[in-house]
Parts: sequence; C-alpha cells; structure tokens
Amino acid sequence: MYRIEIDRSLCSGMASCVKIAPDTFDLDDDGIAIVAGDAGEGAIEAAECCPFAAITVFDQANGTRIV
Amino acid sequence: MKTDPTFWLLARASGLTAYVLLTSSVVAGLTVKAKPLGRRIKAAAATDVHRFLALLGLGAVAAHGLVLTLDQTVKMPPVGLLVPGLSPYRPLAVGVGVVAAELMVLIYASFSLRRRIGARNWRRLHYLTFGVFAVATVHGLAAGTDRWAFGLYAGSVALVAGLTAWRILMKGGTSDVPHRNRPVAV
Repeated sequence: MYRIEIDRSLCSGMASCVKIAPDTFDLDDDGIAIVAGDAGEGAIEAAECCPFAAITVFDQANGTRIV
Repeated sequence: MKTDPTFWLLARASGLTAYVLLTSSVVAGLTVKAKPLGRRIKAAAATDVHRFLALLGLGAVAAHGLVLTLDQTVKMPPVGLLVPGLSPYRPLAVGVGVVAAELMVLIYASFSLRRRIGARNWRRLHYLTFGVFAVATVHGLAAGTDRWAFGLYAGSVALVAGLTAWRILMKGGTSDVPHRNRPVAV
C-alpha cells in the first residue's frame, strides 16, 4: 500500500524510524536506514519523525507522495 | 588615561550570548528525539533550528574571542584563542573555554563529514556536546565576572539536564539499535 524511499545521503542513522516502525525499517551495516519489511501505517509516522527528512512515503496505488 | 570599556562590555555580552545560543541549540537538539511537545514539532524542523542555533553560537564564540584580543582589561594574546592556557587572566578558566570552543567547531564540522566518518562515529562524536556544554558552563562561572549570570547558568543546566532525563526516560536516547539480519519482505 505504501512505497518508501530513503535518501541515503540524508540518513544519519538516528534510528527514529526503526523505533517507530520496527517491522518496516532497519539499519544496515553502515548504520543507514533500509526498508526491511512491509510498509504499514507506522511508515508515515516514521517518515514524519525522521530528523533529516530522509524518508519519503508514496501511495502505492496512484504514486502520490504522502510524506 | 581611563581604559575604554567598550571591548570589555562586548566580550561579556558576546560570551553570555554564545552561552545562551549553545544552550538553545542543545535544547533544540534534544527536542529532535525527546519530543517534549509530542508531534507538534516536526523532527526535521527541529534539526534545522538546532543546526542554525549552533552556527549562530559559533559566530558569537568567534566574536567573543575577537573582542577579547582587542580588549585592554584582560589582554588576551591572539594565539591564546587557539592554545589553551595562554591567557594572562585566569588561564585555567579561560583555557577550558578555548577547549569548549574548539570542540564546538569540531562537532559542527563533523555534520558535513558524517558520510566520510560514518553515521555511527558521527553520532558518538555528537555526544561530546554534553561535555562542551558542561565545560562552557564551568568557563562562564569561573572566568565570567557577571555575578547575576549565575541564575542563567543554573537555569540552563536545569533545562538541559531535565530534557536529557526526559529523553532517557522516553527511551528516545540511545540510537545504537542493533542490526538485525531479517529477511527482506517480498
């Protein structure tokens, strides 16, 4: 239902997204956020709470940007 | 001849301004994850404010150092702005201020280098800010001459300590989430 993009040049590994939506996000070996699961409702809050606005969430159906 | 007090007044004013801006930047930085006002403050906006206040603080620190070299009350040699302990006036108290200023520059510059040094190392380095704040407070109390400012330092320490405690209690503190090797959903 959502498509998530993470800007790796902005992400600084604060892991807010992992705390808010642990089923969706994880940190890779470089400490940078990756999408590691299904994008549920928590993805939107995680994107809003990213300190570097590195997460963008799109509606899978029509491609519009939600956050 | 009476010494012109202009630079001495400017030195004190810029020092107190730098401390207020440092405190404000730390408070904004803690707000990014502690979220004392819930979701009303967007994290990314708090980050922008945090960085901007830090830059303003660095500007005030630079002004503080510059006017001290022009002032005739404490006679700070220009090299004393870079090397701690060379101030004829309260060398230890001024020296810790120099160290705090240098660490501030390092921490601010590390933001642009976080790709190169790695996100984890950048965050660890960022924790040094608590040390900078503590040392800047000691510098203000020990080198400053404005007795009334004690309340400013006490209030700032209480604010930063309170928000830090809040952040720890809200479990927004540690960022080192262990990497889990979960299979990627298909």
